[in-house]
Amino acid sequence: MMRTFRIMLKNEMKLSLRDMNMVIFAICIPLVVLMILGVIYGNKPAFPDAEYTFLEQSFGALTTIAICAGGVMGLPLVVSNYRSRKILKRFKVTPVSPAVILAVQVVIYMIYSVASLILLYIVSAHFFGFRMGGSIFAFLGGYLLVMLSIFSIGMMVGGIAPNSQTASVIASLLYFPMLIFSGATLPYEAMPGALQKIADILPLTQGIKILKATSLGLPIENTFVPMIVMVVLAVICIGVSLCFFKWE
Amino acid sequence: MNEIISVKRLSKSYGGLSAVQDLNLSVMQGTIFGLLGANGAGKSTTIECMLGTKKPDTGRVSILGMNPFRQRKQLFENVGVQFQEANYQDKVTVVELCQVTQSLYRHAADYEELLKKFGISHKAKSMVKELSGGQRQKLFIVLALIPQPKVVFLDELTTGLDAKARREVWKILSDLKGKGLTIFLTSHFMDKVEALCDTICILRKGKAVFYGTVKEAVADSPYDKFEDAYLWYSDEEVNDDENI
Repeated sequence: MMRTFRIMLKNEMKLSLRDMNMVIFAICIPLVVLMILGVIYGNKPAFPDAEYTFLEQSFGALTTIAICAGGVMGLPLVVSNYRSRKILKRFKVTPVSPAVILAVQVVIYMIYSVASLILLYIVSAHFFGFRMGGSIFAFLGGYLLVMLSIFSIGMMVGGIAPNSQTASVIASLLYFPMLIFSGATLPYEAMPGALQKIADILPLTQGIKILKATSLGLPIENTFVPMIVMVVLAVICIGVSLCFFKWE
Repeated sequence: MNEIISVKRLSKSYGGLSAVQDLNLSVMQGTIFGLLGANGAGKSTTIECMLGTKKPDTGRVSILGMNPFRQRKQLFENVGVQFQEANYQDKVTVVELCQVTQSLYRHAADYEELLKKFGISHKAKSMVKELSGGQRQKLFIVLALIPQPKVVFLDELTTGLDAKARREVWKILSDLKGKGLTIFLTSHFMDKVEALCDTICILRKGKAVFYGTVKEAVADSPYDKFEDAYLWYSDEEVNDDENI
């Protein structure tokens, strides 16, 4: 079981790197957005008299770009693609359990996300004077929760979409609004009030609130609602994707 | 001799259209069983219902004494399968596909040996999609043999193979049969079926129109040659007559 997992992970990671999509969307794009925000806002405070810079305020949001790319784009597409190419059907006539196949893909996108997080941290600390205002452990805890929750959406879409076209339409409908309107790229604080209200509906907006609070060291009480949203979402989506998993 | 595969009263229809009807099969250990018939006669549906990738409407299937739905993980430790359609990742190489397949089983065979045996070891580093049709077909037979199975299912195994490659593959399979492997295959290529299959079943429109040995098939038909007899059973010949 562990051996199967290890070898499949190595193999699928190689295939994913050959494909290059995730290198661009999960590794390069977050860095580009970071550079742009860094160049525009530099070390300016987030608002007059703020104790943290605009960039520090945006850091938590930027770390979710990779989560979003892997979770709602990469994960559902690879799973539905493997189903329509009958790769899952071939696995069905072997002793492997579907949980292993899904876990391998989840871990691959976790690796991309964490790599993106580390790179963002190094670049922003080195070039833009970033420092973590809150507890690093609280931030990492929040990061894992957001990752689990967003990935579970992707697992559900990949697990139950009838074919890869549908999966790719659903993935695009989830990905692009979340990328633009949840504050991951376009800063939430820069949005007009009406747009903020719409953004609040998106699960990633709630996730970003947790990451902002923990990275800036703001009171944790403000994140209870977002945390409940993340947990409920994860439980529902994981449940649905495991119950309704289809080999073909 | 042990019964390795047992199919009882299997039926499957798609939206009212019957694909397989009331089929009974029994395959003994160390024999080669050929499920024959024209395209669309129900061979692939039968094999998929047997393996559990499709759910039969009615009927019972038992392989190695196990139910393919309820005892999937246990059963497929000992069963090798080659499907008709190629199903692999876009950019995967031969060796990667073999490694992953090997990792799925507790008692896997050495895939390098198998690649050598089938004469495709020089292609190990190539992408699967770059192989020729025949090489790819051989690779999928290798994958089916990696679990060191007790029984192997080969769906249309000779498709894409030229005459020489077909002969090589048949030779390897009959050697494996000699070592006790049970083989279940489907084919619409009668070439060599005659020499190799211990028992055959000919399907026409989802129904078994003949079940027995090749010799019996010929004896029960108005012809002397198996190929003619087969065409007579499978009803492929009728169209030719109409043309004349």
